[in-house]
Amino acid sequence: MDNFVKLEDVTKIYRMGEVEIAAAAGINFEIKKGEFAVVVGPSGAGKTTVLNILGGMDTATDGIVEVDGEDIADYSARQLTAYRRDDIGFVFQFYNLIPNLTALENVELALQICKNPRDAEEVLEEVGLGGRLANFPAQLSGGEQQRVSIARALAKNPKLLLCDEPTGALDYNTGKAILKLLQDTCRNKGMTVILITHNLAIAPMADRVIQIKNGRVSKITVNEKPVPVETIEW
Amino acid sequence: MRATRKDFFREIKKSSGRFFSILFIVALGVAFFSGIRVSEPDMRITGDSYFDEANLMDVKAVSTLGITEDDVRAFEELELIEKAEGVYSADFLTETEDTQFALHVMSLSEGMNDIAVTEGRLPIKSGECLADDETNYQVGDKILLKPGGDTPVKDTLKEEELTVVGTGSTPCYISFNRGGTTIGTGSLEGFLVVPEDAFELEVYTECYMLVEGARELTAYTQEYEDLIDEAMEQVKELSGERGVLRRRELVDEATKELDKARMDLEEGREKANKELFDAAVEISDAENQLADAREQLRDGWSQISSAKATLASKQTELENAKAEYEAGLAKLNEGKAEYESGRQAFEEKKPEAELQIKTGEEGLVQLEAGIRQAQEGYEQIKAVFAMRDACEGQMREIENAYPESEYKNPLTAVGGQYAMLLEQAKQIREQITGQNLEAQWELLPAQIAGLKVQYDETAALVEEGKNGLAAAEEELEKAKAELAAGEEQLSAVPEQLVAGQRQINAGWAELSNQEAKLRSGESEVIENEAKIADAKEELEEGRTKAAEELAEGAQKIADAEAEIEDIPTATWYIYDRSTLPEYTGYGENADRMRAIGQVFPVLFFLVAALISLTSMTRMVEEQRVQIGTMKALGYSKGAIASKYLGYALIATIAGSILGVLVGEKILPYIIIYAYGIMYHHMSEILVPYVASYGVAASAAAVACTMAATLFSCYRELGSQAAVLMRPPAPKAGKRVLLERVPFIWKRLNFSWKSSVRNLMRYKKRFFMTIFGIGGCMALMIVGYGIKDSVYEIADTQYEKIQFYDGQILLQEDLTEDDRKELDSFLAGNRDLERHMDAYMKYIMLAKGKKERQTYITVLGDLDDVGAYVDFHDRKSGESYELDDEGAIISEKTAKLLNARTGDTIVVKNEEDEDREVLISHICENYMGHYLYMTSAYYETVFGEKPEYNCILFLADETYSLPQIEAAGERIVDRDEVLSVGYTHDIMEQLNNMLSSLNLVIIVLIISAGMLAFVVLYNLNTINITERQRELATLKVLGFYDPEVAVYVFRENILLTFIGAVVGVALGKVLHLFIIQTVEVDAAMFGRSIYLLSFIYSLLFTVGFSLLINGIMYFKLKKINMVESLKSVE
Repeated sequence: MDNFVKLEDVTKIYRMGEVEIAAAAGINFEIKKGEFAVVVGPSGAGKTTVLNILGGMDTATDGIVEVDGEDIADYSARQLTAYRRDDIGFVFQFYNLIPNLTALENVELALQICKNPRDAEEVLEEVGLGGRLANFPAQLSGGEQQRVSIARALAKNPKLLLCDEPTGALDYNTGKAILKLLQDTCRNKGMTVILITHNLAIAPMADRVIQIKNGRVSKITVNEKPVPVETIEW
Repeated sequence: MRATRKDFFREIKKSSGRFFSILFIVALGVAFFSGIRVSEPDMRITGDSYFDEANLMDVKAVSTLGITEDDVRAFEELELIEKAEGVYSADFLTETEDTQFALHVMSLSEGMNDIAVTEGRLPIKSGECLADDETNYQVGDKILLKPGGDTPVKDTLKEEELTVVGTGSTPCYISFNRGGTTIGTGSLEGFLVVPEDAFELEVYTECYMLVEGARELTAYTQEYEDLIDEAMEQVKELSGERGVLRRRELVDEATKELDKARMDLEEGREKANKELFDAAVEISDAENQLADAREQLRDGWSQISSAKATLASKQTELENAKAEYEAGLAKLNEGKAEYESGRQAFEEKKPEAELQIKTGEEGLVQLEAGIRQAQEGYEQIKAVFAMRDACEGQMREIENAYPESEYKNPLTAVGGQYAMLLEQAKQIREQITGQNLEAQWELLPAQIAGLKVQYDETAALVEEGKNGLAAAEEELEKAKAELAAGEEQLSAVPEQLVAGQRQINAGWAELSNQEAKLRSGESEVIENEAKIADAKEELEEGRTKAAEELAEGAQKIADAEAEIEDIPTATWYIYDRSTLPEYTGYGENADRMRAIGQVFPVLFFLVAALISLTSMTRMVEEQRVQIGTMKALGYSKGAIASKYLGYALIATIAGSILGVLVGEKILPYIIIYAYGIMYHHMSEILVPYVASYGVAASAAAVACTMAATLFSCYRELGSQAAVLMRPPAPKAGKRVLLERVPFIWKRLNFSWKSSVRNLMRYKKRFFMTIFGIGGCMALMIVGYGIKDSVYEIADTQYEKIQFYDGQILLQEDLTEDDRKELDSFLAGNRDLERHMDAYMKYIMLAKGKKERQTYITVLGDLDDVGAYVDFHDRKSGESYELDDEGAIISEKTAKLLNARTGDTIVVKNEEDEDREVLISHICENYMGHYLYMTSAYYETVFGEKPEYNCILFLADETYSLPQIEAAGERIVDRDEVLSVGYTHDIMEQLNNMLSSLNLVIIVLIISAGMLAFVVLYNLNTINITERQRELATLKVLGFYDPEVAVYVFRENILLTFIGAVVGVALGKVLHLFIIQTVEVDAAMFGRSIYLLSFIYSLLFTVGFSLLINGIMYFKLKKINMVESLKSVE
């Protein structure tokens, strides 16, 4: 299998007046298609920078960011938007649902701008919310909201599912359920999932674990035999 | 410093955007509120200061008989009059190349109605003038004045032609209108100021007065009006007396003049008689002289003939004289011959005689010597005798003096002398005796005598001889001289003869001369005869002429007597400043500002207060967590709330102060400046701070924001600290009513669905925005609406209600014949399409306690009324007809009197009792107040037929305005016509007056627009910051920027349109309210707003909305997607 995602010497330097801060000081890693990758590291290590760059929300200062053979590092703002629109599914830590729209509508909101969407109801069924289609986010629990968020991301049929601490705002069990959903999605649909977390405990469930420290990849572990979520405890 | 305080100041610093946004919006609201409100008093103050500065009169008095110095002085002595000044004025026409117009010429008044010189200088001598700034005259121009009537200009002014030495303005004319006149087109074009002595008038035409204490009061205020009314009352009272006095004075003066005229007439009569008499005498003198002349001529002729005779006799005499001369010449020659012979004889006898004489002379010499010898001897003897006597004498003396002894003694001295004397005497005696001297002495005298006789005889003989010779010689000489004389005499004669002949010849020449003279004298005499005949004729003529003139004079005197009888008592008219054109208009403009100030700023202020309220609420909501933390730390509610209250208070107070300081200066300045376009001589704009307005506005602003802050704080502080520290439960999405209509709902995409739900979700923001936008829209609609209402009236009034082009005012006391003549003139006048008699009079209408001055209008021709005035109801459009049962009253009048159809109102009448009038209809009318009735109804009401005093006319339809005016001028030229008024003049005046309101409205519209802008900006900013996370999420989801923008703007656009709809409704209500308050009593403003105004207001609002959306687009673009990753605060 080819490298579906490949980062080569990616640097990101923020200028704060005179001071230059390197959030990413030459990151290199590769992820294969259909892999469940976990990017892990302590706060401030550069995880979010990686996520932002991969998600097309930010551009790298230098280096190559290849996704499905395209180097998005050179993309213009508009190309990046299109990239986000068509190729990326994003799952937020705080779900970021539109409070005014029902679960179904939130999913449909993403679909209406998408080239090749899936059926919203079907996706919601898949994430286990078949009965809560007409509920507003405020009427849903956190886990349910995150499911809507995942459904919204999946419904776009993205090439890459980016998850930013999807369990960060959830309790332990709900968090586990969400991780399971993500893992299942990866396994069943062949979706490439990149999950960012500071929780090293969930590393065993991933195909590939990328540890980041001080803006550099400190270690890449490939799990030949990832364990199911249910078996992990933290 | 305490941490809370630090936090407070850092909060301000950190959220300076919000702080200043509150500050400025409060400043805007307060500025507008206090600024617009203060405009009204500021306008009055500005006007008043201009009037005071220029010493504008307070009261003006005019008398039908003119005003004397005494009158002026009498007024000045009144208690309430500070100063009175008499002034001359008169209206004249002047012509330019293609037009003619009327000018008001007035004298310079000292210390009152000061002229402000714009260019050049004030006139100082007759023939100079200062021209109105509003005219096109330049310094150096010459203006030739022409009389408006028959009286020549020179009767009023010393000079007909005035040179412009300066241009300027007077406080009497604060705007463009110069008032009316009785000459020309009926309206004045401008004024000219001349020095007082440029006028020839004897009495002042008007008297200006300053009222004591009026300067300290502000014009257009009730206090001022009251004081002036009081002063006018005093003046009025005095003027009654002055009127009678003035008549007496005039009568006295006229009588005096009449007496003088009588005397003059008498004198004239005498003088004429004397002159005639003198002339007669002169003629008879001339005749006498002529007779004399004839006599003289006759004499002359006779003298000439006698002279001719004389000359003839003279000629004869001359001939005789010649003959005589010839004879004389012959005699002379004879005498010459005789003389020659005598001479010869004398020469012969002469030597003999001479010898005889010589011998005689020699004898004489001998004799002479003998005599002398004899005489000498006698003398010698005599000397001897004398010596003897002397010696004897001396001896005797001694004998007598001395004794004999002594003189005889020779030894003594005497004896010696005596002895000598004796010796001498002895010698002498011896001599005598010796020579016989005694005898000789006896003989000698006879000898001498004989010798003498002999001598005398000889001497006589010699003398005789000598004499004879001399006499003969003399005789010869005499004859010779006689001959010479005779010769001489004769020699002169031939010359004399020639001269004599010459004289005679000259005499003849002279004579012929004299003859010519006589002849010319004769012709002269004939001429003089003719002259005398002429003179006689002239004399006759003179007599008749003198008689005629005298009779005429007598007639004039009789006329004058009658005129004196007719002099009326002077009628006085007392006016206040409202008689000045546009003066009242300025006050009304201030009133309008007040009305606008009552509504506009309130709304404006409300919107501003609402915005600051929203901001504060939002702030408190944002700091929910902090509030919770503070609470958890144990701070009291008061301590926590004080931060936000303080924040709001400082921002509001600072904003208020800024608003008051700026608003109370700038807004009234702009408004007064805008009005200044009409009243541009009031250059000094006064905008003092008026504390009451500022304090009221500030207090309201502080109260609003404080209450809002307190309310928000109170709500938050009521919750538990733990609750506060958690993020607020997201607002639940709610289904809206629209979802129940699947037909529509299904067709909406998610963005629309979201927008619609959003609108409903944030109800507060929804209403805020609706109110903000609606309020601004309403303000703009009101602004445009006022303009519409005000502009409409002139057009509606004169195009839909009163159709006539003008009215001809007739002279008073026209005779029937005059009327007939005028009627036939008008009937044949091609300029006029139609005309109609009418009666118009200003009367006082009353109903209950309400009173109103109204034009009572009686229309002459009932069948034709429709062509002049259209009576109809404003709302229903129902047409009314005049009938004999009641009157039709104008709408505003009815409203002011609170009268309805079917009511009875009263016509107040000072002289007569009040009359009742039934109102049968109320008609639409905007300008002025009218009570229309038929002539029959008028008779029913007043008991007499109306005397038509004016004629309404419509000019030919094709006529342009100048053509109508030209037609009017031709009508004014007629004696029966007093003046012609044009409706378009009123229209123009009205439009002028309202054009400044237009500017004020533009100020309002712009302010409203600004407010709309600020409101939209503020609300949008809040909207976007509140939903930043949501928008960032959309971006992460891959929405393009325009798609994100549309997502937001859709709401804005929806809100804008809903706000606009609300604004329209609100605007209509407000407009109606404002129009009714802004309205002045003299007019009714339109009640409707044009569709175009709605469209404009909407376009502005939408335009602002779009503009702000445009600005927001960039704000949206800047939203960082990373925001979406952050936790909810």
